[in-house]
Amino acid sequence: MATQPILQIHQLQKKFGRFQALKDITFSVNAGEVFGFIGPNGAGKSTTIRVLLGLIRATGGSATIFGQDVWHDSVTIHQRLAYVPGDVYLWPNLTGGEIIDLLLKMNGTAHSDKTDALIKQFGLDPTKKARTYSKGNRQKVALIAAFSQDADFYIFDEPTSGLDPLNERVFQEAVLDLKQRGKAVLLSSHILSEVERMCDRIGIIREGQIIETGSLAEMRHLTRTMVTVTLGDDFDVTTLPGVHGVTAGHQAHEWQFAVEDSQLATIMATLAQHQVMALQSTPPTLEDLFMHYYTGKE
Amino acid sequence: MSRYGRTGQLIRLAFRRDRFRILMWIIILAALMASVAWKFEDIYGTQSEIAAIKGTLASPGIVAMFGAFSFKGKVTTAEIFANEMLLFMALIQVVMNLALSVHATRGEEDLGITELVRSHAVGTDAPLAAAAWELVIVNGLLGILYSVGLTAANMPGASLEGNWLIGIGLAATGLLFGFLGLLMAQIADHSASATGLAYTLFGISYLARMITDVQHPRLTWWSPLGWVEKLAPYNDANWMPVWLSLATALILFGLAVMANNRRDLGAGALTTRPGKSRASAFLRGPLSLLWRRQRNVIIAWILAVIIFGIAYGTVFNTIGDILKTNPTMQQVFGAAMVHEANHKVLLSFTSLLAVVMAAVATIPGIQLILKAHTDETRGWLEAVYARPVSRTRLFFSYVGPAFLTSTLAYIGGLGGIVVMGDASLDHVKDGISAHEFWQGIAGQLPEIWVFLGIAVLLVGCWPRIKTFTWLYLALGFVSVYMGSLLKLPDWVKNVTPAGWMPRIPQHAVNWTTFSWMIGLAIVLVIVGWLGYRRRDLQMR
Repeated sequence: MATQPILQIHQLQKKFGRFQALKDITFSVNAGEVFGFIGPNGAGKSTTIRVLLGLIRATGGSATIFGQDVWHDSVTIHQRLAYVPGDVYLWPNLTGGEIIDLLLKMNGTAHSDKTDALIKQFGLDPTKKARTYSKGNRQKVALIAAFSQDADFYIFDEPTSGLDPLNERVFQEAVLDLKQRGKAVLLSSHILSEVERMCDRIGIIREGQIIETGSLAEMRHLTRTMVTVTLGDDFDVTTLPGVHGVTAGHQAHEWQFAVEDSQLATIMATLAQHQVMALQSTPPTLEDLFMHYYTGKE
Repeated sequence: MSRYGRTGQLIRLAFRRDRFRILMWIIILAALMASVAWKFEDIYGTQSEIAAIKGTLASPGIVAMFGAFSFKGKVTTAEIFANEMLLFMALIQVVMNLALSVHATRGEEDLGITELVRSHAVGTDAPLAAAAWELVIVNGLLGILYSVGLTAANMPGASLEGNWLIGIGLAATGLLFGFLGLLMAQIADHSASATGLAYTLFGISYLARMITDVQHPRLTWWSPLGWVEKLAPYNDANWMPVWLSLATALILFGLAVMANNRRDLGAGALTTRPGKSRASAFLRGPLSLLWRRQRNVIIAWILAVIIFGIAYGTVFNTIGDILKTNPTMQQVFGAAMVHEANHKVLLSFTSLLAVVMAAVATIPGIQLILKAHTDETRGWLEAVYARPVSRTRLFFSYVGPAFLTSTLAYIGGLGGIVVMGDASLDHVKDGISAHEFWQGIAGQLPEIWVFLGIAVLLVGCWPRIKTFTWLYLALGFVSVYMGSLLKLPDWVKNVTPAGWMPRIPQHAVNWTTFSWMIGLAIVLVIVGWLGYRRRDLQMR
C-alpha cells in the first residue's frame, strides 16, 4: 500500500473544442505526502482537478486514484476522497450547519465531536443562511466538511484564498495532521509560502503541461543562490565564473549577485581571500523558482 | 452626487446586458400581434362569420378565458380581434415585464453586480431608475410596433385611434406590472421570492378579473389586469384605463424608490432569519436536498394551481346554465334536453381549461429539470459531485420530483375545477362525472410528460439550448388555446405534443396515442439521462 501511489496521472490531456487545456500532465501523489500543485491562473490546475473528480472527461492519457479510473469508478473513489473547491458556492437558503451535515451524510459519515471542534476552531456561525456568508465563510463550510471526513485522499483547490491569517494557520495545522496520519493531500495554491511550508513535493504546471516536479530541495539545485557580500578590498566580483546579475550594494565594496549552485564552492573559496566582512546567502524561495519558470529562463 | 447619478450609463449597460432577451420578446410579441391582425380578415371577414363568433365570445366560458367585452351595433372584424387578443397579449406582456424587471434589479443584486456598480460614482437609486427606464423603453417600443402593425394590417372596422389605443394600452399594462416587479424586488430578499410575490399578485388580479367578468363585468374595474378589457378600442375608445395604469405604475415606482432608500444593499424588507445549526435527520442526500431547497416553491405551485382550478370552478353555475342566457329553451326542448346541453357546455369549458391547467402544471416541472443545469453552472453541485453520489442518482433527484410535481399540480388543478364546479351547480348531474374527470387526467398527462421529457433531453445532451423548452411549451399552449379562435391549420397544432390528443373530456381518450406518447416521454428521458452521464459538467 505504501509503495503504490494514491494518485497516478500519466500524460493526461483535455481538449475543449479546439482549445487544448491540458497537454501533458504526469505526476503522482503518495500516501503520507502533501503534494503542492502550483501554476498561474489558467494554466490548468482546476481543469486537472475536475478530471480527477470525474466532473469532466479526459481526452487522452490516464488518471487513477486508489488504482481506479477517475471517470468510470468515480463513485467508488469518492467514498474515500474529500474535496474543497476553489470557489465554494453553497445553496443560498440552507444554513452552514445544515450544509456541513448534508455533505457528511452524503459520504456515509455523520456530524461528530470533531465537526464541532472544527466549527469552533474556524469560528463559523453555523446558524446563518449560506446566502449571507462571505467568501471566507463559504470556504470554511467546505473545509470543515472535508476535515471531519475520514478520507484517504484530500484535494484542496486554492482553499485559503478567502481566509484570514488565523484561519489559514488552522488550515495548515489540520493539513499537517492529515499528513502525520498517513493521508495523501493534493494542494493547489497561489500562496507560495504556504506551499513551501507544507508540501513535501511540488509540481509546477504551465500552459497545460507539468514542467517540473520534485521536492523543493531538488528544485533549488536547478537555480541559483542569492549572495550579498561586503568585502574588505577592491575586488571586482564580476570577474568570478558562474556569477549573474551583479549589482553594487548601498555601501562601498558591497555586492549582490546570484550564483549557480555548481559554482558555489569555488566562489566561496575566492571570496574568502578578499576579507569577507559580511556575507548573506539566501536559497531561492519558491517564489524565485516560480518566477524562474514563468518569466523565461533567467 | 445626485441619487440618480449616471442613470443614463446604466440604461445603456442594461440594454447591452439584456439585448438578446429584449430582442427576442419584442420580435415574438410584435410578430404575433401583427400576423394575427394581418390574417384576421380572412378568418372573420364576412358578417356570417362575425355573427357566429360573436355568439361564442359572449358565452360565459369564453368570457372567463378571454374577458368580457361589450358589443354595440354592427360588429366589425376589428372588434372581434380586440376581443380575442387584448387580454391574451396583456398576459404575455406581463410575463415579459416581470421577468425583465426582477432580472434587472434583484437578479443583478443576487449576483453581486449591484454591489460592484454602486461602489462606483453611481447614485443610490440609479440602478433602480435604469431598470425602470429599460421597462419604459421596451414597453414603449412594443406599443409603437403594435400600433404600426395594426395600422398596416388595416382590418375592417379598425380606426387609427383604436390602433394606438391598443398599443399604448398594452404598453401601460405591461409597465404597471413591470413596476410591480420592481417593487417586489425591493421587498423580497432574493430574486426567486420577488418573482413569487409578483406572480401571486398577478394571479390574484387575473382571478379577480375572471370572476367579475363572468358575474359582474362592472366590478372588473377593480382589477388592474381588467383595465385592458375596458379599452374598447374599436367601438367606444376609452383612454381612462391608460391613465389609470400609468398612474398606478408611477405610484408603484415611488414605493419602490422609498423601499430602496430604506433598505441595505443585499437585504429586503422580508429578511433572512437564522436557521438550524444542524441538519435534520431527513436531509441526507440529493433528493432530500432538492426538497429542502424547493419545497416552498413546489408546494406553492401545487396550491396555486389548485386555487386557480377552484376559482375557475366557481363560474360553473353561470356557464353551465343555458337558461340564464336563453330562458325560453326549457319550454321548447324540455328539461332533459336542457340538462344535456348544460353538460355539453361544461364539458367543452372543462376541455379548454384542461389545456390551460396542463400548460401551467408543466411550468414547475420544467423549472425543476432546468434547475439541474442551473445548479451545475452555479457551482452548487460541485460539492455533491465530489461525494460518492452517482450522476444517475443526482439526475433523477431532479427529474423524479419534476414529473411528480407537474403530475400532482395537474391532477390538483383539474380536481379543483371539477369539485368546485360540480359543487356550485344546482343540478349536479349537469357537471363533470368522475369518469370524465379521469379521462381529462389521462388526456393531458402524456402531453405534460413529453414536454418534461424534452427538457430532460436538452439538459442531458444540449444544455445550452435548454431555453428552447419554454418556447416550445409556449408554442404548444398558444396553438391549442387560440387555435380554434384563430382557425389555425391542423399542422400548427401538431407541431407540439399539446395538439396530438383530441380535446378531453369533450372527446374520449385515444389510448393508442396515449401509449405512444408515454413511450416517447420515456425514450426522451432515457436519452437525456445517457447524455448526462457522458458529458462534461460545466463549472464556473
